[in-house]
Amino acid sequence: MDERVLHLIRSKRRLLVPAIILVLLFYFMLPLSLIFIPNAMNKTSFIPGVTWAWAYGFLQIPMTWVVGWVYHMKAKKFDQQVDAIMREGQS
Amino acid sequence: MNLTYFLFFICIIVCTLIITYWAAKRSNTTNRFYTAAGSLTGFQNGMAIAGDFISAASFLGIVGMISINGYDGFLYSIGFLVSYLVVLFLVAEPVHRLGKYSLGDVICSRFPSNKMRWIMAFGAFTISILYMIPQLVASGYLLRLLLDIDYSISVLVIGGLMTIYVVFGGMVATSWVQIVKTVVLMSGTFLLSLIVFSNFDWNVSALIDKVKEGTPLGEDFFLPGHLFGNPLEFFSLQLALVLGTAGLPHILIRLFTVRNTLEVRRSLISSTWIIGVFYVMTLVLGFGTVALLGYQSLTATDPTGNLAAPLLAREVGGDFLLAFVSAIAFTTIVAVVAGLVISATTAFSHDIYHHIIKKGKSTEKEQLKAARWTALGIGLISTLFALRLETINVTFLVSMTFIVAAASNFPVLLLTIYWKRFTQVGAIAGMVSGLVASLVLVMLGPHIMNPDSGWIAREAVISLHNPGIIAIPIGFLGAILGTLFSSKQAQPIEEFSRFYIRSQTGIDSRREGA
Repeated sequence: MDERVLHLIRSKRRLLVPAIILVLLFYFMLPLSLIFIPNAMNKTSFIPGVTWAWAYGFLQIPMTWVVGWVYHMKAKKFDQQVDAIMREGQS
Repeated sequence: MNLTYFLFFICIIVCTLIITYWAAKRSNTTNRFYTAAGSLTGFQNGMAIAGDFISAASFLGIVGMISINGYDGFLYSIGFLVSYLVVLFLVAEPVHRLGKYSLGDVICSRFPSNKMRWIMAFGAFTISILYMIPQLVASGYLLRLLLDIDYSISVLVIGGLMTIYVVFGGMVATSWVQIVKTVVLMSGTFLLSLIVFSNFDWNVSALIDKVKEGTPLGEDFFLPGHLFGNPLEFFSLQLALVLGTAGLPHILIRLFTVRNTLEVRRSLISSTWIIGVFYVMTLVLGFGTVALLGYQSLTATDPTGNLAAPLLAREVGGDFLLAFVSAIAFTTIVAVVAGLVISATTAFSHDIYHHIIKKGKSTEKEQLKAARWTALGIGLISTLFALRLETINVTFLVSMTFIVAAASNFPVLLLTIYWKRFTQVGAIAGMVSGLVASLVLVMLGPHIMNPDSGWIAREAVISLHNPGIIAIPIGFLGAILGTLFSSKQAQPIEEFSRFYIRSQTGIDSRREGA
């Protein structure tokens, strides 16, 4: 049982560590780019009439929703595996 | 006060008291009192988390900041929102699995001792009270401005209501008051946003053109840099916002009010949807205020801009809509302060009374009685403080709460859950250094030390209004140094493994275990 549990924890960590690093990078790139490249951020982005500062700021909202949702979906599988291990442990 | 206002307020007070009466019958065990016995669904809890989190500072403050400073006001909301991913990924599930009622339970599941519990209870208590008092003071001002009611009466009404909710209804009443608040707040802001758009025939570019006319900033309104001149200050604030939520006790104890980790994740996902949509609407309201009301009339009534949303409501919907928005602001305040009362109550009655004074041996009846008396005491004391602090500017305490939480609770929670060499000395050192550093840095900063209007009329020693960028690393450093100096006390690896497996999977845990 122990080996399977450890394997499960490791695979969860392989998902979470890059995820949190990417989220924080994506988040902190906004203030950093506003500080260091303000001119570029004030140029029109891929959306006509909208600057990069606004486009990037807005993107943080769907980013939060999508990343949260993807994790929620993946974590369900982890829960099922944990339940299976616990059931085996009991029987 | 005219009849419309009176009816709206009475309606809210009566509705929430009915909820409390219903909840009081269900709050007859400690488990129900502290966590509603984990009976909420993920979505309900998500609404309650949003209700706990969106304070009057968010609703009124951010709309005001956007209407005065444009883009930079919007950046506040982004930090608040993304912080939920930090909670979801790093602390939510372990906190649910390890704790029962309080953050003290979570840390003491690895470092069981009275000293550790004292520190955690002190931290949770301090953060909750520091956050509650400015909310009460602000509510007094707000009701005075909106309804022309005396400051003391406003504070007494709100202080009285929050105390009644928690004393009689515990977490059940608090949660449902917060859920009702979220529904009222979201529908109200949605309605107001629609009215704003309809004023411009649903044409966004017409709204934006009008915004440029209404603000003295003109085209520049949409460019960054009007609120945060100093890059370090800006970055420091963003850091405290994104890490702070993961250390706020009143948000984290809401992770105990659902039955399993699936519902914990559902709670957080739902709250990010609610909070995200809400902040998009605050943007519309901020723009609407500048476009329809103009900068001059907004700042003439209130230079801080906090009355932007109510003034906008009066402009587009007359007295009736103003009464409705004021009622929303009132519900927003009572829901948040009730959440803070229960968080401070848990820290005192569960951690200090039950675990430390009674050594974990008090009966169910004694615990419940202690919790109710504690809630009453906390409600009374904070109301008294708020009454005394009428003339003192305490709004900075709101942003300070995030710094204290990010510098003390967050490092200790994170390292307790994930660092195998972490020791109890490290945890205590982290809490103490984070708490002390954030308090001292704020004391030495321009909020307190200011030649014009500060409590200490001198130049500030630290120029940052938001010293998170110094305080948060000090919290982490304290925890790490404490651990290195006490490395002999490190737990045996098997013991940590058991703890870690439990925190990550729930195997052997209280709720999901066999």
